[in-house]
Amino acid sequence: MAEGTAIAVGFYALLILIPFLFPFISWALGRWYQGTLLTALNEEEKRLGSMLQNAEQSSTAPETKSMRATSSTLLHVSICVGPSIGQMFIMWAKGIFGGRLQSYDAVLDYGRREVLLRLKKQADSLDCTSIQNIRIETSVISFAKNGNENKRSSVEFLAFATGLRF
Amino acid sequence: MQPQAVISMHMSNVETIPGKTITSSLGLVTGSTVRAKHIGKDIFAGLKNIVGGELKAYTELLNESRNEALQRMIMQAHGMGANAVVNVRFATSNVASGASELFCYGTAVIVA
Repeated sequence: MAEGTAIAVGFYALLILIPFLFPFISWALGRWYQGTLLTALNEEEKRLGSMLQNAEQSSTAPETKSMRATSSTLLHVSICVGPSIGQMFIMWAKGIFGGRLQSYDAVLDYGRREVLLRLKKQADSLDCTSIQNIRIETSVISFAKNGNENKRSSVEFLAFATGLRF
Repeated sequence: MQPQAVISMHMSNVETIPGKTITSSLGLVTGSTVRAKHIGKDIFAGLKNIVGGELKAYTELLNESRNEALQRMIMQAHGMGANAVVNVRFATSNVASGASELFCYGTAVIVA
């Protein structure tokens, strides 16, 4: 009789825990995976650190030293990033009391750094030695149908600029 | 939809085409496209949501769409007799459930 009660309690406890188990696994996997992405990005930034880095070579100023340039091209790259389901769960929980959403911070920071790095790589591949008028735009991309709010967290970063060749 | 010819054109997001001189301004040109994901990419993106990070399927979809919008803008500029587009800007917006609009616009000019 006592054994039956213990099994029933265990079963109900499992039923209560299952909804939290999946977000926890997702959070743990996401933390590991995003960690590897960040490590790769850090290494890539170190490797290409000197590329188009000074104010002459990369700038947000619309005024260019364009008269000296021989040709130019429009550069544009984008990246779509999203938090893991576990991170979304934590965000939902934190949303009750408010405060800094560190896990979302990390995802957005990664996206923005990655898109800038890709812009520099694109400039380099097109033989541009300077990037002017850099603009970064952020937009929430909703491919979610039927009002599925979970998928609304995908964020697109678009970086565009004018690449100059001298 | 008819396949569009790929036309190369000078483009920049500054007020001039560096290294060239604008001889004539022809006005506003725009290009847009509305895209929805397909179910295969959605399933993959849904699985990718388990770990988060970059959603490559959506990145590729948006890149293709943006290039198509740019191509439409170029076609319009070409139709007006322009050989360059300056001050190019991009905009992205959700226009319907499950679909996004990629929009680009600029000023068509003739450069020499």
